[in-house]
Amino acid sequence: MANHLQLGFQDASSPIMEELVEFHDHALMVALAICSLVLYLLTLMLTEKLSSNTVDAQEIELIWTILPAIVLILLALPSLQILYMMDEINEPDLTLKAIGHQWYWTYEYTDFKDLTFDSYMVPSTELPLGHFRLLEVDHRVIIPMESPIRIIVTANDVLHSWAVPSLGVKTDAIPGRLNQTSILTARPGVYYGQCSEICGANHSYMPIVVESTPLPHFENWSSLLSS
Amino acid sequence: MVWVFFLQSFKLLGFLDVQSVPCARESVLYGSVGSLVVGLGHFLATSRVRRSCDFAVGGFICTMLGYWFYCRYNLAQQRIRQRMLKEGMRNRILFEGSSLDPERKLTGNERSDS
Repeated sequence: MANHLQLGFQDASSPIMEELVEFHDHALMVALAICSLVLYLLTLMLTEKLSSNTVDAQEIELIWTILPAIVLILLALPSLQILYMMDEINEPDLTLKAIGHQWYWTYEYTDFKDLTFDSYMVPSTELPLGHFRLLEVDHRVIIPMESPIRIIVTANDVLHSWAVPSLGVKTDAIPGRLNQTSILTARPGVYYGQCSEICGANHSYMPIVVESTPLPHFENWSSLLSS
Repeated sequence: MVWVFFLQSFKLLGFLDVQSVPCARESVLYGSVGSLVVGLGHFLATSRVRRSCDFAVGGFICTMLGYWFYCRYNLAQQRIRQRMLKEGMRNRILFEGSSLDPERKLTGNERSDS
């Protein structure tokens, strides 16, 4: 989860999020170079006397056409690489359906018999000591770690969005439509997210908690719930 | 102790956290050194202040970006090697003693049917 006053990304817990963080660092470095150049040019302009000596500016026009093209290529190539990486077809080990309601999530494990549950936020008045306000839920999404999981997101009433920042996933939940995304957690842990599409009065109070566990623990949990 | 907190959270131009981004600190430092070398060298050669400043800024940008790409490329190679090592260690544990064990295939004459 995010710390208070945190502005940057949360720690990456999936390979895709690691790539996104690296691309973000790359983009910031390019932005630093551009800002340095612009600051210097601003300083030059402010200290230069105005004159009308320039009548032909072929060289500078060439520079400020080619340089932005190079910058765009530097940014576009890794961006497209990640974009196609996110759409790679992998063979998921598990399919999970996330259905958005006002104002809770329903999860269906269709690979198992009758494994369906609702996930409501734990109110602050009932929150145990040490737990996170507005982030904890009564039933977490349990998934096996280091396994590709297919998540099908939809909604029952209005638009919602299923988002977990540390896994690099944000998928709109649209009534009447099935959106598919894929996640792979690199290590066991608990990952928090919140609904990311305005959906009414309690839009801020329908969090998502994904708990990634080793496979034997996941099998124990699923057999307990489906029996 | 306020200055210690300031050093820990320093962000260049307000957005680049050079402490936590890999290769950022070295890129900026090498860029600064490159800028000094190129700018000072040009000034010593030509005694033109304004043009030397232009070269210094250009040298900063080129050196910083050049080292950045070099360092990030090496970092990516290292991460690929780490992943291959992790995968190899896991496969070794999984397949040790089985028919899929690559070491068994290499020393096939020494191992008898068990």
